[in-house]
Amino acid sequence: MNVSSQAWVVVADDATIGGLLGAARPLGTSLVALVAGRREVAEAAAAAGVDRVVWLGEPADGVPVEAYGPAVGRVVAEAAPRVVVGPATDSGRVLLGAVAAATGAVVLAGASELSLDGDKVVVERAVGGGIALRRDRVVAGTAVVAVAPGGTVAGAAPVAVEEVDPGPLLALRVTDRRVTPRVGVDLGSAKTVVGVGRGLKAREDLALIEDLAAAAGGELACSRPLAEGVDWVGKERYLGISGQTITPDLYVAVGISGQIQHMVGVREATTIVAVNSDPHAPIFRECDYGIVGDLYTVVPLLAEAFRAARS
Amino acid sequence: MKIVVAYKWAANPQDAEVGPDGTVDWSRAKGAVSEYDPVAFELARVLADTCAGEVVGLTVGAAAIDTPLARKAALSRGLDSLVMVADDALRGADGTRIAAVLAGAVRAIGDVDVVVAGESSVDVGDRQVAMTLAAQLGWAGLNAVRAVTADGGSLVVEREVAGGVETVVAGGPVVLAATADAALPRVPGMKEILGAAKKPTQVLDLAALDVPAPADTIAPVSTARPDTGNRQGVMLDAADLPAAAAQLTAALRQSGVL
Repeated sequence: MNVSSQAWVVVADDATIGGLLGAARPLGTSLVALVAGRREVAEAAAAAGVDRVVWLGEPADGVPVEAYGPAVGRVVAEAAPRVVVGPATDSGRVLLGAVAAATGAVVLAGASELSLDGDKVVVERAVGGGIALRRDRVVAGTAVVAVAPGGTVAGAAPVAVEEVDPGPLLALRVTDRRVTPRVGVDLGSAKTVVGVGRGLKAREDLALIEDLAAAAGGELACSRPLAEGVDWVGKERYLGISGQTITPDLYVAVGISGQIQHMVGVREATTIVAVNSDPHAPIFRECDYGIVGDLYTVVPLLAEAFRAARS
Repeated sequence: MKIVVAYKWAANPQDAEVGPDGTVDWSRAKGAVSEYDPVAFELARVLADTCAGEVVGLTVGAAAIDTPLARKAALSRGLDSLVMVADDALRGADGTRIAAVLAGAVRAIGDVDVVVAGESSVDVGDRQVAMTLAAQLGWAGLNAVRAVTADGGSLVVEREVAGGVETVVAGGPVVLAATADAALPRVPGMKEILGAAKKPTQVLDLAALDVPAPADTIAPVSTARPDTGNRQGVMLDAADLPAAAAQLTAALRQSGVL
């Protein structure tokens, strides 16, 4: 299949597309946004510095963006761009799957760096659940890449929104939506994060870790067993490969062994401090400062020292 | 109702060796039902039990995924039968090809109403194959699913969205990827493990599935070890913890991160 020199982004009813545009823009001679979802999202994309916006029309009440999968696949396959960048989100992956099925391309997920080598797209991404990095050149067909969607973009002179007929949609309808009581936390922008893992013996003992987080002026987080095994900590605070990825100045890991699935989520921290009773815990090989000790002894001492230093 | 659980027999990256050049050696890592999949078996069984349905396990991969141990591990998790495509032509196959083979197998099984999968595979972690499978089948796909029930000819799906939970009614066949904590998977007991030996397994021939030949669209350039950030690795003296806490606090203050 011959591809054009265009770069496309797929927008899944969410205007936070700064990451998509930033990744796609250097890879093509023109930048096209294909928007599934509401008109306001298409209009936001039109003012985000793209050359064209192709919009699949206003969804009827209750029709989720996933219903547009076949339309997204068809429109992209007809245009055959050099690259399609889409959001690595729940609904984004549905639309990218449709692109993959329509073009035969493989979705390159977890991409950390995109570049051009001649007219071929080169993608660097984490493989094996994050244990290695690998660079591939897309030698035939459209490169299909999933990246973090990034923030909102505005301020460019808007281009026209071109509406196209989506054709038949899939039979999906949202009939109810309930807000869950847990408020969203923004771990992604937190400067300090204190994470706790299986070293914690009882739910009541979370107060100790919460106190350390407060003393450090940071947010509480956890490794997977505490959010999904025992549900002591809200799932939105779980760090790792299928949870949150953070980029704080300081990450304090308490009672966390440091399995790769966890470390993938915290590697971008400027400084990592580890407290663990096992001197052989893998986290001690990936930290800046380590203390081997019982968290029930160490954490109150750290909280006191942090509090004194910051007051 | 016919329910397929699409799962993966995979090794945990925790047991793989990563060389200095970023090459991954899986030879010492053993296969297992991928960590995120038991929840899919559980969701499927619960759904089947409420609507007199049937649960068929489905996995595809290299020839080594078909062992008595691997069959038993899947069949003891509430399946009625198991279907496999085990062919060395699938060794290292990319996600789109795996999805195409799964789609071919779902068509071969026939009359399938819903495919349930885990959110991700433990060894690759792309969270993509189930949704590519949905598109290959021409079906709807939904991620972050925490519950599913049958209501007449429709499936009622609860899925997590930012800030809440949505109920989505699927009027046609659908592929669902479950959240990691959608259900608490039952641990197979002796009864289930012994019963597994009596359940049927069908091995499908890859060549008979009418799946397009792989297109070589990707060429490897290089591999590397992930940057661990050149951490300082300073171990503080645990014999005097108050001094260690003070030393750490001073260092963090000095570097401006506390």
